[in-house]
Amino acid sequence: MSATLTFWLAVVGIGLTGVVTRCSFLVLGDRLVLPRAVERALRHAPAAALSAIVAPAMLLVDGQVGLAPGNPRLVAGIAAGLVMWRTRGMLWSMAAGVAVYTALRLLWPA
Amino acid sequence: MGAAGRLSTAHAHYAGALPPTPRAAFMLGMQEMLPGIPAMAAWSLVTGVAMAKSALSLAEAMGLSLIAYAGAAQLAALPLLVAGAPIVVTVMSALMVNLRFVIYSAAVAPSLRLLPLRQRLLLGYMLSDMGFVFYMRREPHLRESPMRAWYFAGLGVVVFIVWHSASLIGLFAAAAIPERWGLDFIGTLALLALLVPMLATRPSQVGGVVAAALSVALRGLPFKLGVVVSIVAGIAAAVLAERRAGETR
Repeated sequence: MSATLTFWLAVVGIGLTGVVTRCSFLVLGDRLVLPRAVERALRHAPAAALSAIVAPAMLLVDGQVGLAPGNPRLVAGIAAGLVMWRTRGMLWSMAAGVAVYTALRLLWPA
Repeated sequence: MGAAGRLSTAHAHYAGALPPTPRAAFMLGMQEMLPGIPAMAAWSLVTGVAMAKSALSLAEAMGLSLIAYAGAAQLAALPLLVAGAPIVVTVMSALMVNLRFVIYSAAVAPSLRLLPLRQRLLLGYMLSDMGFVFYMRREPHLRESPMRAWYFAGLGVVVFIVWHSASLIGLFAAAAIPERWGLDFIGTLALLALLVPMLATRPSQVGGVVAAALSVALRGLPFKLGVVVSIVAGIAAAVLAERRAGETR
């Protein structure tokens, strides 16, 4: 198989994984009735999913856990989280995070 | 305590009914998605830049972005595509990263499952991390609303347009954007801002901490499998915490 064909078949396959997972319960929903307990559990899915995506991005420095103040992403993330907690303003929170992150990188360049 | 009473306080102010016309419900969805645009644009821009800086040709990178329409899966598959890995390996790795959409799909299904199949497929294609989070803020109150599909579509259209335009900009502007700007971190900050209000109740806090800790601990697992495991464990922990709180009351 040529490299070009392999590439495009893989791309179509990747696209199919997105369609199949996204439409799974939307299409089978008539036949698969979700038990109450499962439905309630799924309400916790967004917070768990976002935590699982956000935590590594904040904590890991070159693949290792960086808890020291020298990890600008962690410090900026904590600042942004606190602003969000107090003000509930998404853009304020992001602005605070970017400001702290930029300041730390300029003050202590890696 | 009724089902509505168990919702976190963060969700409470989205309790209103949807506007009565398709157009107004669609517009409301588009309007509510506006604060999410910086996050999506940043993620998408970075994905575009990453694809442009790989060994893919411009046509290949554009094709991957348009067909996959899933940033995390694209980024996970990218090195495998470039290395010419077996199709099965590449597709499996994308599937693992995309498995979270099954969770999302099941979560939105109760309010959308009575729609015609063609609408469900179209809305399913529009399902995204950001769209899901925004839809779920209102979802418990949408089951009876005839305009829920239009609201969902309004959210989804903004995600679709922003994702693809920012991705194209990233592809073409890659040479001019230094990686040290940390554009991907702006995406993280935006996801964090979405997450914080969700952590208003004890069970959701327990679930969030478990998912976060496991996701970091399991980062070495292949195919980004650790992310899926962490999400499932986080949900389980939150359910257990909720059940315990119910027993002690």
